[in-house]
Amino acid sequence: MKTSLKRLLACAAMPALLAGSAFAQDYGNFDGYTLRVKLIGGAQYEPLYATISEWEAATGATVQILSRKNHFELDREIKQDIAAGTLNWCVGSNHTSFAPQYGNIYADLNDLIAPETLAGFTPLLLEHSTVDGRLVQLPRHSDVSNLFYIKSLYEDAENQAAFAAEYGYDLAPPETWDQVRDQALFFANPPDFFGTQFVGKDEAITGRFYERLVSNGGAMFDEDWNPTFNSPEGVAALQWFVDLYNAGAVPVGVPNYLWDDTGLGFASGTVALNLDWGGWSAFFNDAENSSVAGNVGVVRAPKGDAGLRTGWSGSHSFSITTTCDNPEAAASFITFLTDHDRQMIEARMGILPTRTAVWDDALAEFAAAGDDFMVEVFSTFRTSMAEDAFTPPLIAEWIEVSNALWPRLQAAMVGDMTAQQALDAAARDAREIMEDAGHL
Amino acid sequence: MTPFLLLLPAILTMLFVVALPLIFSFYTSMTSYRLTRPETIEDFIWFRNYIRLFENPDFWRAFLRTIVFLAIALNAELLLGLGIALLINKITWGQRTLRTIMMFPMMFSPILVGFQFKFIFNDNIGILNNALQSLGLTTQAIPWLVDAKLAMFSIIFAEVWMSTSVFAILLLAGLFAMPRDPIEAAKVDGCNSWQVFRHITLPFLMPFVFIAMTIRSLDVARAYDIVAIMTGGGPAGRTELLWTMIARVGYDNARMGQANAMAYLSTILSIAFTYYFYTKLVAARRYMGGAE
Repeated sequence: MKTSLKRLLACAAMPALLAGSAFAQDYGNFDGYTLRVKLIGGAQYEPLYATISEWEAATGATVQILSRKNHFELDREIKQDIAAGTLNWCVGSNHTSFAPQYGNIYADLNDLIAPETLAGFTPLLLEHSTVDGRLVQLPRHSDVSNLFYIKSLYEDAENQAAFAAEYGYDLAPPETWDQVRDQALFFANPPDFFGTQFVGKDEAITGRFYERLVSNGGAMFDEDWNPTFNSPEGVAALQWFVDLYNAGAVPVGVPNYLWDDTGLGFASGTVALNLDWGGWSAFFNDAENSSVAGNVGVVRAPKGDAGLRTGWSGSHSFSITTTCDNPEAAASFITFLTDHDRQMIEARMGILPTRTAVWDDALAEFAAAGDDFMVEVFSTFRTSMAEDAFTPPLIAEWIEVSNALWPRLQAAMVGDMTAQQALDAAARDAREIMEDAGHL
Repeated sequence: MTPFLLLLPAILTMLFVVALPLIFSFYTSMTSYRLTRPETIEDFIWFRNYIRLFENPDFWRAFLRTIVFLAIALNAELLLGLGIALLINKITWGQRTLRTIMMFPMMFSPILVGFQFKFIFNDNIGILNNALQSLGLTTQAIPWLVDAKLAMFSIIFAEVWMSTSVFAILLLAGLFAMPRDPIEAAKVDGCNSWQVFRHITLPFLMPFVFIAMTIRSLDVARAYDIVAIMTGGGPAGRTELLWTMIARVGYDNARMGQANAMAYLSTILSIAFTYYFYTKLVAARRYMGGAE
């Protein structure tokens, strides 16, 4: 009886051992444990989740996915869980922009993830993932925006001659935001063709304004948390959007645009220059989806008045709740989801990795496959992530301040207010928010 | 005592399902309750949330815009629904198939309807502007979701597309239930079709109209998803309705106390609409000789 029981146990353990041997790292043994998780859902996130069964086979644990929603819905659900005291799950998808809102519900990963594992991540991204000195999230992938453009427009001799005659310098992918304005005005032929475009609502336009403000040398707040975005730098940043909108150099619907509108708009071939996230690269160069495939170039985001490049950045991440009943299993799970091989799966789709080695290996893979476009994309975005990327202020009130700001940015764009009036009104609202939160 | 005992299950159900949540949310509307800081539910601030709202012109603009939205959308749905119901009532062949097809828009989730119309009305790559430009009807990109009037029109159009069939179904049920004798008697007496409709069919349908109006006025907040996706209340608050504002304040900003104060004031709007339609319903039934 004893022998047959041993045989049975050995047989049961075989799949786990075999699967375990496939990984360079030991993910531990959590036999019989059920890990409850809430993950961001969406087509581009799913390929990673297809590998969860490998972690289950390696550790003996089972993963129960309680939610698989987009980030905004997941954010609401997590807030409801906090309010109702139902944080009875362990791992949640998170984001650097959202994380500061959640207070102390997430554990400090410095205590749960091995230092040698953390050493594999880009240091700047771990810094962005830290709130009040606590590493509350492990970055899964990151993003920053760079400038995509239609190459043939710049190679056209007639365009080159006409542009040089009108603006007094050679037509080349822009290095500054002033040049973007010139070129956008030059290429625009509404309603058939537009010089550029931008997202126009929600946190999206707040972020775009914020990075322009920073590139002009301004800041959202001073060191005492007084709102300062209604400074001359802020007004200049907003006026850039207003001028292009009034000149018809961008589609008239941009105040209502979000990422899908700008992405699909550029892929439709009706926009010359498009500041967008790295995650769109593969889509833009996919002949099945994009009419500009094979004709797309990318350069680092241009510089503002202060000589700084725009680089509003954020990372999708995983966090572990402080109420988790098995933080070791949770730590093993998020380490697995962000390990080298898992990040390679997402990097092959054009999603920007957070591990230093994955940048090298993905670039080598693209080069070996002769994919010059993806080599150009990854080289550009790697530099951008290392040198230009910055997050919004990591405070709980960021989303609330953003909600006070973006309707005013729109008001300036559609002519209901001047840029100064709009920013002054938003600064008054932001001050009230900061006062309520006890910052002022 | 026995009647009370018999009513007890209903009373308890009402108490737990309706009264307690209402009392709780009214209490929270007088606190600085934030979803992300549960302890703030004990921070009682009396009427500060309400005072802020009374001083907030954006809130009152959204309040008035919601009334306009409700009035236009519900009346447009009623007129179109009545027209469709009358037409389908005339059909003698394929009526069931048509009734099923008519209900298709109701089956879509409001989120899908929002995305559908967001891309139809997109100024650059939207099918509507491309069609208008291809047909030579305009050379401009019409800003359907940006211009104040056009944006309201667009979200009302999407809402009417989704919900007209609710009216049509309810009014069709009324038409099916209608006795034929008065109509035939009126025709024998020499009434033309308009007179029959105006003096017999319509009065008979009025209770159904007001029931449909009452149901829809309470249910119309489903349009939140449509508005949230198509415009998000923008641009510059031009399509901001109470529902988008309350959701943003309550969930995105996590200020549930303030959002509940807004919701309580908007409840007054719902009660006013429901009371109005209910009194009209009673009057219509009295006119038809029915029980009150």
